[in-house]
Parts: sequence; C-alpha cells; structure tokens
Amino acid sequence: MLRNRFGKVVAGAAAGAMLLAAAACGGGDTTEGAPSAAPGTDAPAASKVKVGLAYDIGGRGDQSFNDSAAAGLDKAVAELGVEINELEAGNGEAESAKEERLRLLASGGFNPVIAVGFAYSQSVAKVAAEFPDTKFAIVDDEANKLPNVSNLVFAEEQGSFLVGAAAALKSTKGDIGFVGGVEVPLIKKFQAGFEAGAKAVKPDIKIQAKYLTQPPDFSGFGDPAKGKTAAEGMFDAGADVVYQAAGGSGAGVFEAAKAAGGMAIGVDSDQAKTADPTVADVIITSMLKKVDVAVFDFIKSYTTNSVVAGSKVYDLKAGGVDYSTTGGKVDDIKAQLDEYKAKISSGEITVPKE
Amino acid sequence: MTTTATAAPAAAPPARKFKLTWQVLLLGLLALLFLLSVARVLTGANDITSGGAIGAALMAAVPIGLAGLGGLWSERAGVVNIGLEGIMILGTWFGAWGAIVTGNPWVGVLAGAVGGLVGAALHAVATVTFGVDHVVSGVALNILGLGVTKYLSTLVFAEMSGGGDTQSPRIPAMTTVSLPWIGGPLQELEAKHWFFLSDLAGVLRGLTQNVSLFTLLGVLLVPLTFWLLWRTAFGLRLRSVGERPVAAESLGVNVYFYKYVAVLASGVFAGLGGAFLAIVAAGTYREGQTGGRGFIGLATVIFGNWRPGGLAAGAGLFGYTDALQLRQGGTSVHALLLVVGLLLVAVAIWQLVKQQRSRAALLTGIAAIAVLVVFAVTDTIPEQFTSFTPHLTTLLVLSLASQRLRMPAADGLPYRRGQAK
Repeated sequence: MLRNRFGKVVAGAAAGAMLLAAAACGGGDTTEGAPSAAPGTDAPAASKVKVGLAYDIGGRGDQSFNDSAAAGLDKAVAELGVEINELEAGNGEAESAKEERLRLLASGGFNPVIAVGFAYSQSVAKVAAEFPDTKFAIVDDEANKLPNVSNLVFAEEQGSFLVGAAAALKSTKGDIGFVGGVEVPLIKKFQAGFEAGAKAVKPDIKIQAKYLTQPPDFSGFGDPAKGKTAAEGMFDAGADVVYQAAGGSGAGVFEAAKAAGGMAIGVDSDQAKTADPTVADVIITSMLKKVDVAVFDFIKSYTTNSVVAGSKVYDLKAGGVDYSTTGGKVDDIKAQLDEYKAKISSGEITVPKE
Repeated sequence: MTTTATAAPAAAPPARKFKLTWQVLLLGLLALLFLLSVARVLTGANDITSGGAIGAALMAAVPIGLAGLGGLWSERAGVVNIGLEGIMILGTWFGAWGAIVTGNPWVGVLAGAVGGLVGAALHAVATVTFGVDHVVSGVALNILGLGVTKYLSTLVFAEMSGGGDTQSPRIPAMTTVSLPWIGGPLQELEAKHWFFLSDLAGVLRGLTQNVSLFTLLGVLLVPLTFWLLWRTAFGLRLRSVGERPVAAESLGVNVYFYKYVAVLASGVFAGLGGAFLAIVAAGTYREGQTGGRGFIGLATVIFGNWRPGGLAAGAGLFGYTDALQLRQGGTSVHALLLVVGLLLVAVAIWQLVKQQRSRAALLTGIAAIAVLVVFAVTDTIPEQFTSFTPHLTTLLVLSLASQRLRMPAADGLPYRRGQAK
C-alpha cells in the first residue's frame, strides 16, 4: 500500500514534468490571434499581401535574434504596407505545435509565411508540402528543399571569425572563452568561426568553450543563471574575453563579465545598444546577424513576384553578417578587422564551419 | 548544525544502530574534502575546490533547496505539491517585478514570496477545501504559472526600456557580504595549490566571501524549518496531519487549518526560490528560466527522505555538480570520476569487512574498477556527458544510499473533515 502510493507520487512528478512541456505549447498558441498591424494605405500594389511570421522561442522582445526578425517585419509594414500576423513559440513545445502554428497562418490566407529559426525545419517541410501555393521562408535552416520554400541562411562563421579576431587582439591574458546556448550544428558554426578568427591572430591562444545544455534540452537558450555560472568559471580560469551565442542566457554572461572586470562579445544584434546600460560597457563588440535584412528582402521579393526557392546565403560579402562598433571599444583594431573582412569577402580566407 | 539528525526514534527501524551526530557529519565532510583534494592534486583540476566553484554551487543549490523546502512543508502536512515549478515561475516574475519597480531587491524578495503565496493559496483551496486530486491541481498550477507570467510580461515588461515580451530589464543587484579580513589570505592560500590546505581555503572562501544576504536567508531557512517542524508543538501537529489526519482530528487538531498553513508556507518558500533565481542567480527575469528546478526541488524532498537536512544535502550535491560541469566541465567532471571511484572502493571495503556482504562488496568493487578504468583511459569527459552529471550523481547516491525512504503516511491522500465518524 505504502509502496504503491510512493510510486504514485513519483509517477505523478514525472507526469507533471511532461505535462509542463505540453502546457508550454498551449500557452504559445493562445496569444495573438488577430493581425497586429493595420495595413498600409499608400502601397496599393502590395496592399493585399498578408505576411505570416512564426517566431522562435523568445519571440518579439528578446533583444536578439527574434527582435531582429521583427525589425525586418516592421520595416516591411512601414515601407511595403503589408499586413502581418505574428505568432510566438512556447518553451519546450512539441513538434505538432509548430506545425499547427504554420498551418494556422497558411490556412488563414497568409502568404508568404516566414518561420524564424531552425526549430521549424521539419514542420516547414511538412506544412509547405500541404500548401503548395503558399510561399514559405525559413531562417537558419537549409535541410529541406521544396519548390515553395526559401531557405534564408547566414554565414555566422564569417561574422564570428571577425569577433574571434577582435577577442584575440583585445585579450591581454591570451585566454578567451565561448559560451554556446545549446550544442546544435548552428551554434557550432559560431564556435568554429570564433576559434578560427582567434587563432588567425594568435595561433597559440587558449580558448575555453562551454555549451549550457545538450539537445533536446533547449533551456540553455533561456537560463541566464547558467550563462553566468559558465562565464564566471571561464573568467576564474584566466579568460578575459568571452563570446556568447546563448540567446537569453547571454545576459548572465554580461553580468559575469561585469563582476569579473572582463570583456564580453554580444551576438545577433548590436547588444551594446540593446543590453542594460549598466552592463553595456563590458560589451566590446557584437557579431551582427542581419535577420532583419533577410526577412525584409524576402517579403520585398514576394511583392515584386521574384521569390527564389532554395538557399540564399547572407554572408559577409552580401552584408548579412558583420561586427558592431558601438561604444568605440574596437576602434583601435578596426583596421586589422577590416583587413580580415576584406580577405574573407574576397575568398582569400575560407572560414571553417565546424 | 544538527539538522541532519536521524529520524525520530519511533519511526527508526530497530536494525539501525548508526546515529549521525554533528561530529560524524563534520568528519565525513572533511574526509570528502580530503578525497577531493587527492583528486585535485592527481588530476590538476584546480576548479573542483576553488572558491568560485563553491560560491557557484551555493548559488545553484539555494533555489533548488528553497523549492525543496516548499515541497517538504506541503508534503509533511499530507498535500503533494507538484505545482512547485509553477509557483517558482510566479516567484521569478513577481520577484523581478517588485525589485525593478521599486529599485530595491528586497521588495522583490517580498513580492516573490507573495506571488508564490497566491499560487499556493489556489492549490490549498483546491486540494484542502474542495478535495481535488493533488496531482491534478498541481499540474494546473504549473500551467497557470507559465501562462500568467507570460501574459503579465507582455503587459508590464514589454513597456519598460530594456525589457521585452519574454524578459525583464536588469534587476538592481543585491548587496553581498563577506567575512572581513580573511578573504585576502584565503585567496593567497588557495592560489598556492597546496594539498588539503588550499582546498579548505577554497571552500571557506566560497562560503564566506561575496555572499548575498538572500543566500544566507535561504540557507538559514533549513535549520529554521527543522526547528519549527520537529521541535515545536505547532510542528508536531502539522506533521501529525500528514501522518494520520483522522487521529489528529480526534485529538482536537484543526486539520484543514494546518494543511492550509503548510501549503501556504510551501508557496512562500518556492516563491522565494524563484525570486532568488531571478534576483541573485541571474540578475534578470527570463521566460522559462526555472528550467525544471521546481521538479528537481521536489526530487530533493524524496532524496532527503522528507527531512530538511537530507534535502539540503541533496540540493547541495546537485548544485555542486551542476556548478562544476558548467564552469570547467570536462576536466572537473573527469576529476570527480576519481572521487567516485575511490568512494566506491571504500564502500566495497566497508561492505566486505564490516557487514560481511561479500556479494554486494563484489558488485560495488566491479563498479569501482569500471569507474577507475574510465578515469584512467580518458583525459576529459565529452561535453555531451558532462551536462547530465548532476542528475547522474544524484541517482547514484540514491541507489547506493539506504532504500528505507518513508514518506508521510497520509501524503497525497484526500481528507474530508469529520471522515472518521
């Protein structure tokens, strides 16, 4: 009897954990349902274009990746007068929730539909096949090629190369660190580029690397406490510059840099601008990934009827990735960084992807 | 600290001769430190006893321990609280909100506790007054916590500069305190990497330097809980409600009242855990930042056999291993393998010599050799494995430790007033 109840409690705890995951997707779906922006009036040619966009975990307001996509969408609303509907993703949601979100947009007459983030890889492939007349775009993924899917991908390794070089040039201890959110192929590209860039400057530099969680646990993109602990460990072990590609956990990395008197490098958007002013001074530069450019370009190509299916790579040459100079912390090494930039653009340096 | 004293004599099985006193506990901890020191000197993994690692361990352990205390209070009164995770989420949100709006982190602490209290009040009304199944109500609370905070964020944080739909602006930092004069000397001693002395210095430095007052509060709540529940008449009544509510009622104890108090206290503790996570450990609110810590807290209750001392040990173990794997993953966890191997050897010898259980000793010995072989043939542990070190360690300790876990007898059972008649 007693043992039975004990087992029941334990089973209950496990069931609770699973239900929590299920609950997370429930929360995501019920948020915004109606188009959240009025259609423009001064662009008659595009006034019927209804753009649907599905965010990755974090959504609008993450001051990073998703906000960048939102910026592109906002620009399209302002300049092209399109009508939009944005849907948010939930933490730890099931694959079916993603499919349902895309299906909701496509069946609601939204065309084109943009999925932000590699998490949508499988669901886009499935839903795009169900709606052959709708144009889909997926950011950060080129695993699935369909006639109505555009894969908007970035050469993160090239941008990371530049900030890696910046880290090595700025480091006085010859010891730098990399904090990744979740060990997935996409984030490994950041690490590979960062390490290559640092080694190009200083071949014997010591590079510490840590991923906060392993897939399928994606909490590493949203756990600042873990980011802080990992970065503290790196600073304690002798690093003086840490680059984060950890989404929402990155705030913890900046906190640790501030406490340790070290330097940090931001990711995706210009984080010296978006981070809190009290920690912004530790951010020497950020690897810019211009998702806004890709999203806007894609919507624009739709309004001019020139959508191209398949991969479109936004690299350094195309202005898809770059490094930021806000705060003036890398002004002294700008010449060297721009030299690397020219070499990568011309193909003289090939940056490894893993 | 006598919080880890053994179970009450009435509940203890007669075969149990071993009594854990504070002297034994201290000796055990020193022996563990000695083992860690051996591992550190042999492997050069200096981080395993560094002040930074111990500080980070404390930081990781406190929110889990607070959630665990929440579970302990509730379950001791017979109410299973699966909703700890949801209450913690409320704690993170309200903690961050209170601190940001007023600019004072302590207001945030209070707000987090109140947020947790409100969540727990729902659980109490549902389970105690209306007799809803505890697990169902708890799961509903988890869903509610997530949804409510999501909604509130879009209302409140999205309007603040630096905030967004999924995160808050930076939370004003809480002041930290240090034991004066010893910080510098300890750090020097630690940096010398001497055998044992430097390790001791590292541990002391981690526990005494730059500790936030909230951390101290969190740690002190463990002995306070022990004192309240095991040394006062109030505690006895509360626990009697979790053991035999019918008997308690026949003696004039207001069962509903004690259940309410316990569940509300549970909400305060878990809410504080959430507030700690947002204010001290992260410095910001972020959607989903609890990452299952409420469930881990619930697990420490079982790990600790529904006792505060055992619960604190479980949270400490989890926090320590989590801090190690996050800070210097591969090397530190590799050094831990040696510690685990040596511990298993000691257990095997104990089983063979003291208990004459030769078959058990053989199995433990084989496990020890397996661990030591893995240690010998590798230089570092791959990242894929280090991230679940905390879970694996906890599982290992649970499987080796005594299996005589005893939950409160009426835990999770529905109770209606006057049902004894």
